[in-house]
Amino acid sequence: MTQSHDAIDELLAGYVLRSLSGPDAAETDRLLTEHVPGCVQCKTTLEAFGAVTADLALATPAIRPPDTLLPRLHRELEPRSGRAGRTGRWSPARLVAAAAGFVLVLGVGGLALTQLGGGDVPALASADLQQALQFATQDGATTTDIGPAHEIAAPGVEEFYIYGTNVAQPPAGSVYRLWVQSATQTVHLGDFLPTSDGTVLLRVAIDPTAYDRVMVTVEPADSEASEPGEPAWEAA
Amino acid sequence: MQHADLDDLELHRRLSAGDREAFDELYRRHCGASYGLAYRLTGQQILAQDVVHDAYLALWRAPEAYDPTRGPFRTFFLSLVHHRAVDTIRREQRLRNRTERAANLEVLTGEDVAEAVTEEAFLGVRRKEVREALMDLPPEQRQVLEMAYFGGKTQVQIAEELAIPLGTVKTRTLAAMRKLRKALEETE
Repeated sequence: MTQSHDAIDELLAGYVLRSLSGPDAAETDRLLTEHVPGCVQCKTTLEAFGAVTADLALATPAIRPPDTLLPRLHRELEPRSGRAGRTGRWSPARLVAAAAGFVLVLGVGGLALTQLGGGDVPALASADLQQALQFATQDGATTTDIGPAHEIAAPGVEEFYIYGTNVAQPPAGSVYRLWVQSATQTVHLGDFLPTSDGTVLLRVAIDPTAYDRVMVTVEPADSEASEPGEPAWEAA
Repeated sequence: MQHADLDDLELHRRLSAGDREAFDELYRRHCGASYGLAYRLTGQQILAQDVVHDAYLALWRAPEAYDPTRGPFRTFFLSLVHHRAVDTIRREQRLRNRTERAANLEVLTGEDVAEAVTEEAFLGVRRKEVREALMDLPPEQRQVLEMAYFGGKTQVQIAEELAIPLGTVKTRTLAAMRKLRKALEETE
């Protein structure tokens, strides 16, 4: 570690404000992995700067959100061990990657990627597989290639599936990152990895007709999902 | 730690166990600050609602993302809201005509977009302390800080807009953060 703590503090200040980009962002990612966890001074600074940014939120007046917001949330609060209901276009997507042996439940917005294990997993995987099969065989279901996988959609249904076999793992330390894009927005839906046997099965609970493009990029596992990189897979 | 922070801690513990009433109470306690912040950044009600909605849903789905050993819940959650708001405005940046009202607190509060909320007394005091600490910053430091935090701009963008070296933006930002840290720690 050759940088001075003043130089590191500059990066940490920019980091907590979410204002770094390019080489500074990359360097800070490295520091957060390699240096900060073992440096009491930097950990203290990072936490203190984090507290400052939270306090900065208080510089703007509190405003009561519309009364519809809490009921909207209530409709989407799935039981902790259960499944999410169908969500609308403006709701964050819930992705489920399922295959024999285990299920990946992907966090929204890259917040968390959790691999579940335990007794309830086989049932959830089985239910997902069954649901996917029913979806793919309904009248009017269509299949579009997306890289080594297929996007399966059905008319009038506000969800779609991505299914693939023999899908290569991304490079070590990387994940596949799923995005949808319209003329007005690009939305990060979640990160995923194929199962050990190369299977991918994603249920995406949004209306595919609301977006022009579905794409998958390969990104570092811990990176911020702010902008998509070059698509590795793409379906228009 | 404030009494309210301890309450948040208990509510978060219950929420982690799947208690929806705890979720509602955490919503009630922090929705005003969250929505106010999201609206300030995004400048649009629908986007602000989406930001707050997504933040609360993320909390419900991954409550373990908050580590109580790293500070109060409020710090964690408002940072989460801020990050999501910044991500949102960067996505929307090229398409949206951001109105001046989001940058103008007086106009914003004068509009009938939503009612102001009643908060715990200590938060009102804290708001005053934060605003005073901000106003005590040298203008050039406050400017870069506000462009980053409330404007969602990167340091490179700030340097370009102000036509100053990137290094100057970094120096001013750090100086501002250190002054705020000192001022706000003293008043805690």
